[in-house]
Amino acid sequence: MGVDQSVKTVSADSINSFHLNEKKRIKVKPFNKASLIIQLTIISLVLVTIYTFISFDYSDINLFEGIISTFQNVKIMFLEPHFKHFSFVTALYQVMITLGLAFLTTLFGALIALFLGFFAARNLSSKPVSAAIKGFVAVIRSVPTVLWVLIFAVAAGLGSVAAVIGMTFHTVGYLIKAYSESFEELDEGVIEALKASGANWWQIIFQAVIPSSMTYIISWTFLRFEVNFAVAVAMGAAAGAGGIGFDMFMASGFYFDLREVGVITYFVLAFAIALELIATKVKTNLKTSA
Amino acid sequence: MTTLLQLNHVSKHYGNDTKALSDVNFSVKEGEFVSIIGPSGAGKSTLLRCINRMVDANSGEIIFDNVDIAGLGKKDLKKARTKIGMIFQHYNLVNRLSVIENVLHGRLGFKSTLAGALGLYTEEEKRQALQILGVLGLQEQIYKRSDQLSGGQKQRVGIARALIQNPKMLLCDEPIASLDPNASKIIMDHLKNISASMGITVLVNLHQVEVALKYSDRIIGVNKGSLIFDGPPNEITAEIIEAIYGSEAGDLMFDLGGQYAG
Ligand SMILES: Nc1ncnc2c1ncn2[C@@H]1O[C@H](COP(=O)(O)OP(=O)(O)OP(=O)(O)O)[C@@H](O)[C@H]1O
Ligand SMILES: [Mg+2]
Repeated sequence: MGVDQSVKTVSADSINSFHLNEKKRIKVKPFNKASLIIQLTIISLVLVTIYTFISFDYSDINLFEGIISTFQNVKIMFLEPHFKHFSFVTALYQVMITLGLAFLTTLFGALIALFLGFFAARNLSSKPVSAAIKGFVAVIRSVPTVLWVLIFAVAAGLGSVAAVIGMTFHTVGYLIKAYSESFEELDEGVIEALKASGANWWQIIFQAVIPSSMTYIISWTFLRFEVNFAVAVAMGAAAGAGGIGFDMFMASGFYFDLREVGVITYFVLAFAIALELIATKVKTNLKTSA
Repeated sequence: MTTLLQLNHVSKHYGNDTKALSDVNFSVKEGEFVSIIGPSGAGKSTLLRCINRMVDANSGEIIFDNVDIAGLGKKDLKKARTKIGMIFQHYNLVNRLSVIENVLHGRLGFKSTLAGALGLYTEEEKRQALQILGVLGLQEQIYKRSDQLSGGQKQRVGIARALIQNPKMLLCDEPIASLDPNASKIIMDHLKNISASMGITVLVNLHQVEVALKYSDRIIGVNKGSLIFDGPPNEITAEIIEAIYGSEAGDLMFDLGGQYAG
């Protein structure tokens, strides 16, 4: 009986309060500082974009002709590709070099990041250590890979050494964040269970943390491998790291051979797709296997 | 029977104002089956976790197997923990690993860091794992991934993982709270059987008074961090239930539990 009455009072109260607010519009999202800042940012970005387009200087260029000739170039590049300054086999060899650069930097980066990632994860490490690593890594990530390569080129000279060090550096920064966040997703209870049975830290890492986060680790590493492949192509051109990127740079900037640029683009594209396919295959295998 | 566990004046507070345990005293004999009951937030989980130092008590003595757990260093604490198995409401298995790999995790505390990390177990350990899984009726699931098991099966894997430690005591934190009545009965029967046939002391947190009354040699009632009751099931009355759980709840729960009492 007592319970019944209290239920009635509650519902009567809530009906009353609905009547009171009937005239006001009901907001679904509460107003706060964060949403105001986001809105202001979006508005100012839109304004800046509009201003930039208005203030472009088009005087020497006929927009229509420009578009036509761009299309023509694209057509030559992709519909009439050919080899001139080097052969199919050389191109294959050069792609392998680029791929090797991407593979090496991803492997180094992943190993270092895996190790440091354990200390960066809040649930596996102490607060100050985790905060220190995460802060340091945020700084590394905020500088683009290309810049790191150029920074290391000051000491190592432009070339493959600077490219390997610079790319590894940024990979470490990126993967520590990715790995440590996957580790933090791990169910606290699993760690507790192993701790309670007397297992030590390294045993918990290898027996619980790594098996549980394996799919994440693989996904993030493959993703970074794809990024590193693209960066490695660019490094060939920009930092003299060799590989297919350098040939592309020669074909476009030195020989002005659009058709050869087209061939190389197809090459890079084919490899990128192959990588993607392999990555997907590995991931599905991992998910279905016991 | 000798005393296996003795708590003297154990207190624990989280932060400055949350008092989870205040001056708890009780002892448990070897092979005893003891249930801890009490309302949500009474400090049951905290009490269990103070015993194997997953949570550090602020004051008091916890004497287990003639050693004061509270004063142990890191290394000795790990050694002491191997003698205490723990079972959880949410099983806490490594989902991606097979049943037998999860069971063998119970041996990690006995192994070198390297052997444990790489999962190099002896034939003897594997044989024992199979034997325990057989006793618990899991012989068909040995190589299944543990996230493919039902809740009741997962909890049995949890029990197997604790048993392979050859523990002197099991701490069970609401082992049946996520299970249906059938699976609950299977788990409780296994726990009772372990205590009776292997002489392992079992300390179990329960939400179901009727289950506690049916299975326990002794019941400990906790409310707001203090011991309210410590005695055999047949001494439990409606008044005591009321004191543990607060007014009104007593009537309801005792109606359910009454049929087993006495
Ligand atoms: N890690 C923690 N930090 C702060 N307070 C905590 C922590 N763990 C538990 N508490 C508090 O200590 C008190 C006892 O909690 P405990 O989990 O031991 O209760 P319980 O009896 O197990 O409850 P339940 O039946 O809901 O599991 C509660 O007031 C809880 O809020
Ligand atoms: Mg609890």
